[in-house]
Amino acid sequence: MRPRVAVAVSGAFALVAALSACPANTGGSPSVDSGRQPTGVIATDPKDSTGPAPELAGARRGGTFTVLRETPISHLDPQRTYSFAGLMAVPLVARSLTTWKDDGAGNLTLVGDLAETPGRDVNDDCRIWEFTVKDGVRFEDGRPVTAREIAYGIARSFDPDLTGGPTYLQEWLADTPQYDTAWDFTANRGSLPPGLTTPDARTLRFEFARPRCDLPFAASLPSTAPLPPDRDTGVNLGNAPFSSGPYKVTRYRPGIEIVMERNEHWDAGTDPVRHQYPDRFVWSFGATPDAAANRIIADNGTDRSALSWDYVPASLVARVAGDAALRSRTLLSPTPSANHLVINNERVTDLRVRQALNHAIDREGLVKVLGGPHVAVPMTTLMPPATIGHRAYDAYPAGPNGDPDRARELLGGQRPELVLGAADSSVEQQVATQLKGNLERAGFVITIRNIPDDAKFDEIKKRGNPWDLYLSSWAGDWPSGASILPVLYDGRAIRATGNSNESYFNDATINAEFDRILALPPSEQGPHWARLDERIMREHAPVVPLYVDVAYLVHGSKAGGAFVSSVFGYPSLVDAHVEP
Amino acid sequence: MSLSPGDGAVRVPIGPGGAAGGSRGRRAVGASPGQLVWLRLRGDRTALVSGATLMLFVLVALAAPLIELAYGIGPQDQFQGKLDGFGLPLGHAGGVSGEHFFGLEPGLGRDVFIRLVYGLRTSLLVAVTAAVLTAVIGVVLGTLAGYFGGWLDAVVTWITDLTLALPFLIVALALTPTLTLRLHGQRDAVPPAFGVGVLIVIFAVFGWTGTARLVRGQVVALREREFVAAARASGAGPGHMLFRQLLPNLWAPILVSFSLAVPQFITGEAALSFIGVGLTEETPSFGRMIYQSLGYLQTDPAFVFFPGVLVFALVFAVNLVGDALRDALDPKSPR
Repeated sequence: MRPRVAVAVSGAFALVAALSACPANTGGSPSVDSGRQPTGVIATDPKDSTGPAPELAGARRGGTFTVLRETPISHLDPQRTYSFAGLMAVPLVARSLTTWKDDGAGNLTLVGDLAETPGRDVNDDCRIWEFTVKDGVRFEDGRPVTAREIAYGIARSFDPDLTGGPTYLQEWLADTPQYDTAWDFTANRGSLPPGLTTPDARTLRFEFARPRCDLPFAASLPSTAPLPPDRDTGVNLGNAPFSSGPYKVTRYRPGIEIVMERNEHWDAGTDPVRHQYPDRFVWSFGATPDAAANRIIADNGTDRSALSWDYVPASLVARVAGDAALRSRTLLSPTPSANHLVINNERVTDLRVRQALNHAIDREGLVKVLGGPHVAVPMTTLMPPATIGHRAYDAYPAGPNGDPDRARELLGGQRPELVLGAADSSVEQQVATQLKGNLERAGFVITIRNIPDDAKFDEIKKRGNPWDLYLSSWAGDWPSGASILPVLYDGRAIRATGNSNESYFNDATINAEFDRILALPPSEQGPHWARLDERIMREHAPVVPLYVDVAYLVHGSKAGGAFVSSVFGYPSLVDAHVEP
Repeated sequence: MSLSPGDGAVRVPIGPGGAAGGSRGRRAVGASPGQLVWLRLRGDRTALVSGATLMLFVLVALAAPLIELAYGIGPQDQFQGKLDGFGLPLGHAGGVSGEHFFGLEPGLGRDVFIRLVYGLRTSLLVAVTAAVLTAVIGVVLGTLAGYFGGWLDAVVTWITDLTLALPFLIVALALTPTLTLRLHGQRDAVPPAFGVGVLIVIFAVFGWTGTARLVRGQVVALREREFVAAARASGAGPGHMLFRQLLPNLWAPILVSFSLAVPQFITGEAALSFIGVGLTEETPSFGRMIYQSLGYLQTDPAFVFFPGVLVFALVFAVNLVGDALRDALDPKSPR
């Protein structure tokens, strides 16, 4: 007995000693370059839109490139693709009217993909647009892609059964958010929606009732992918999309795996951005971000040519960032996902309370809760820095750790009782706890109410929801203020449910500004959006900007060419290749 | 580990090295059953050590506010200034220092020690109350069904089967938000006691079936035995039959299932808090801490170590105490 006790006691001591023998954490100073300024242009020279894309130094054909991801991609049907994973995966199998030439460092050029140029504004009033389809673009069975197949693809996105995709083109063509009642796809399969015509096999023409200057951007989403009507399998298209890109889906096991292999009818000469280096891409679903990151770090077998799609989890960031040997195997880049503490403006009507909320937030502490600068970077503007024309400003200086005194001063002795609705997920609970601490320090009385994680996004999109504050994030569909500010702060669009304007902010002068800027040519809008951003914050403070997400990914030692998309903040695979 | 040989109905087990063992053995002659149990327990060193540990845990849990007063740090206080840029605690072993005995949580920077003290309170309250409730419900229904048989037995067995068939997690997930909304509206603060209460009720509603079946089986086996028949022939009423004749013979299995239920509920609370049923982030609890800590195994092992060791010690102590109690109550049973 005695020796056993001794062993146990000394074992316990050894454990404690081992714990404390780890080197003391003296703190480093991790830094992420978040101040880079994206530049975005629409290519005017048709040469920019021609292929082939320049070869990558050192890239080699062959091999299998694996992507590890926890949850399956919701839709591979191009017309239904709207998740980040889908938006990055579908371009491998489907081409769209336009696409972004992206260097992964914020330098973006919008070029024609199926079209010879990113659109022609016929009368310079953004109402009539024409696209000329490239010669030599083919489907996976070898038949040429014409304007008719592209038009059919757009037409089928009106089908109310094919939900989930972006709705810009449908709403603009029908000139109403209820586009599926304006034009019934199932009853008119042979015809095209109003305003969409194909004057000849190589011309696609959009006619809008109102100026839609952002059409070239909206056309970069995969919903403009072509599809021959005889290949339309309806809701089943997502299992086997009919390919026009460099790869085609050869195996689809729902929830487990997607295998994409080379499409031999794809012609590099027509494609300005994509390559066809690996023999196949394998999307493997199921590994948790933790497991995936650890597998990639271990770098064994097929994982050597794999990429973990999910960001490195916060608990592992310090381990990955602290390992110099992993530096060449990580991707680090700020993303366009902006996170706000949204204030319900219909409940919190006092401007000074909203301003006090802005002064009270300790952004440095918040970033620590999230896992450091490899996970989040503080932000004080409505639009994320990755927006074209973005200009940094701080309307309510809070310093790195918040300014509770200034907030108290603004409150002038009142103690507003606010309810913070938080999803019951692990991360959001911690963030809510952190924010509650910040705000109570400044004189607020905060109650955290939990909302079931899966219901939260529907609940806060309901007008008249019972909470004063909630966390929300937004990433524009293209890096222009037009896909951010009017979407989130135009009060005329507020409906009973399904609002993107979650702050329920409505101001007539600001609404008029939206209309004014939206009618400008897209290339001139940037600085106007930046000025309006600052004006909304200074005059109305409808939300508290918190942070932008940072993409931090690990890949195997042989997985080359992946970079973080400047548009969506997730890995782009157009340059991916397997190193020998 | 246990030292009780348990090979005599009256003789008290004697531990090695116990010089007073002989006199204890003599004192046992003529002692009441309760005194016998106590004597047996006192001779069982495992029981003493684990019992003392458990008592210590209970004391710490009860005295949590006093400990907070002496320690000077509350469970919601944040020390983010003592975290590095990644949100990990500075210094050795997760920020262990004279000020923070068990270091700091990564991220929010709250003190691990004081949160464990309060977490112990929550976990013990939930687990012990729920275990007592399940034992009471299980014993009452089990003895009634087993002793009276007939339609009562059929009904109880049917309810037991029905409860077993209900999917525990789904009911818990569906019930909690509904109850919260009913009782607290959409904007009122939900007191931590509510979460604790909901957890206890959920555990009690779903946990009693095992004990009920066990007890019913035992009672069915016992009720045809000679001593029961003798009591019945002497004209004893159902109350006497149940409480004086049957129940004393059932303590062993009841205690075993009780001592198994407590750790089961401690870990169950952990799992449920994690999926958002029951406790909120603000209520310190073992469950939440352990689930949050797991991801930090590589980056902040001390954060996994302290809550993990404490839960291990608590569950181990409860199991050992239950085991020893069973031995003391029923030394004849095979081991």
